[in-house]
Amino acid sequence: MTVYESDLPGVGKKFEVELNDGSQLVIVIHNTGKRELYLRESPDADSDKLFELSDRLSRQVGTIMEGAYFQPIRTETIDTVLSDDTLIEWVKLSAESPLVGKTLAESHVRQRVGVSVIAVQRGDETISNPEADLTLQEGDTLVVIGGQDACREFQEYATAESSSNE
Amino acid sequence: MAAAMELWQVGALFVGIAVAGAIATRVGLSVIPLYVLVGMLVGPNVLGRYAAEFAVPAGDIVTILAEIGIVLLLFFLGLEFSLDRLLEARRRITGSGLLDLGINFPVGVGLGLLFGWSLLESVLLGGIVYISSSAVITKSLIDLGWIANSESEPMLGTLVFEDLFIAIYLAVVAALVGGSGGLESAATDVAIAVAFLGILLAGVWFGGPLFERVFDADSSELFVLRVLAMAVFVAGIALAIGVSEAVAAFFVGMGFSSTDHVERIERLLTPVRDIFAAVFFFYIGLGTDPLLVATTVGILAVAVVATTPTKILSGFYSGRIYDLDDRRSLRVGLGMVTRGEFSLIIATVAATGSGPIMTQVIPAFAVGYVLVMSILGTVLMQYSEVFEGILERRKSETTG
Repeated sequence: MTVYESDLPGVGKKFEVELNDGSQLVIVIHNTGKRELYLRESPDADSDKLFELSDRLSRQVGTIMEGAYFQPIRTETIDTVLSDDTLIEWVKLSAESPLVGKTLAESHVRQRVGVSVIAVQRGDETISNPEADLTLQEGDTLVVIGGQDACREFQEYATAESSSNE
Repeated sequence: MAAAMELWQVGALFVGIAVAGAIATRVGLSVIPLYVLVGMLVGPNVLGRYAAEFAVPAGDIVTILAEIGIVLLLFFLGLEFSLDRLLEARRRITGSGLLDLGINFPVGVGLGLLFGWSLLESVLLGGIVYISSSAVITKSLIDLGWIANSESEPMLGTLVFEDLFIAIYLAVVAALVGGSGGLESAATDVAIAVAFLGILLAGVWFGGPLFERVFDADSSELFVLRVLAMAVFVAGIALAIGVSEAVAAFFVGMGFSSTDHVERIERLLTPVRDIFAAVFFFYIGLGTDPLLVATTVGILAVAVVATTPTKILSGFYSGRIYDLDDRRSLRVGLGMVTRGEFSLIIATVAATGSGPIMTQVIPAFAVGYVLVMSILGTVLMQYSEVFEGILERRKSETTG
């Protein structure tokens, strides 16, 4: 994903976000706090205005988009970028995961790939700062923090079927 | 002209401004020409001829309010002006800015000389036809949604260059026009202006942390009062010693531009600026005699015919400097045609000079010119598709 940022003297700032289908989302943030959203079908096309939001409203919408109220963990993994190289990642364990049935201590994830498990989500319950003797079960979602490469490696490892791994 | 005004007359002035603003929004035009027009209609030169007791006089109080309008317009310009930003995109901004200056300014000066005016009078005309309207163009960009397109970058970039040029230009011409004539006194006046602005610039350079602390008020009321006091007082002192108040205000604004207060000032003082700026445009209308504008119709026609294509041309090639295609480059050209507030500010500087051309012809011409160009420019932008279509057809004819 590429985001272009440019100044609009006397108006505010413009952010252009490239979407997967080749179109661009253009966000104009006015000095007054107003946000305008435009969609540009292709790089040569004119921008069509979608809608505008007040400062307050756009913060609320932004929080909803970010997933602060509802995180659908139907996909195997989602992540939140903390800085350029640090992610918090959610990884759901399938029945085939080599981690199922092991305790956190036995899994050696920190030594193997360099990520730390900061929480385990099991059903409606979130176990934060899990103990080393917690046994992982099928359907658990591990919340891990680590570098980008480490997170990718962990994701591959944790979701891999036992047979294809080693 | 200067007269005492009663409260109801000041009230009538604000009624006029409110009505003008409502009409402008209804018909989709910029507010600036409407403020000027309505000011002209209810002022001493139109309504005053028929029913003097109901006309709004251009009293001292209006003059002062209008001056605060100029100060705040330029203060905001300085506030949004960032040297870093200019340096960051300097190749493109300098390129398009110099192109714009190199084409449009000499055309204005040349026209003045052609009309048989003096060099100073011609330089004033050059400034009036050179400077595009930041206020009207920026508003049109937002209204038409062009702000999200790539054509907004050369337009806003060129406006930044124009703003910097106009600050220097105003400092020099204000000193020259206000001077008592003679090369030596003119040199002294320019030297005083340069020295004063140098002190201000030093203040801008070193005063950032001080600005940061002094204006760090919790209450919005105290904050607005301090900023307003600073801007108007410094500008007023400048005027008192013969330096352009507008330029001083620009520098004060620049002093704030590097602090964290910018966003708060824009939020809290924009309505204040809009009030006083509206009074300024209305005041221009009050002081304008349509009959006098009518006598300038000849030079007005020549100027409009000469300076519309030059702006389109310089805008088009500015678009090219930003690697835009033909269609978007044309939009840049059409958009830059609008002239507005700065042309009128230059005209008020001219009005303080001597001789009939500076005191009467240039102000009347500037009003006519801004009325035509602000409406023409807005319309050109609204109907740009027509011109883009012509461009496309011509291109397909030449290629096919």
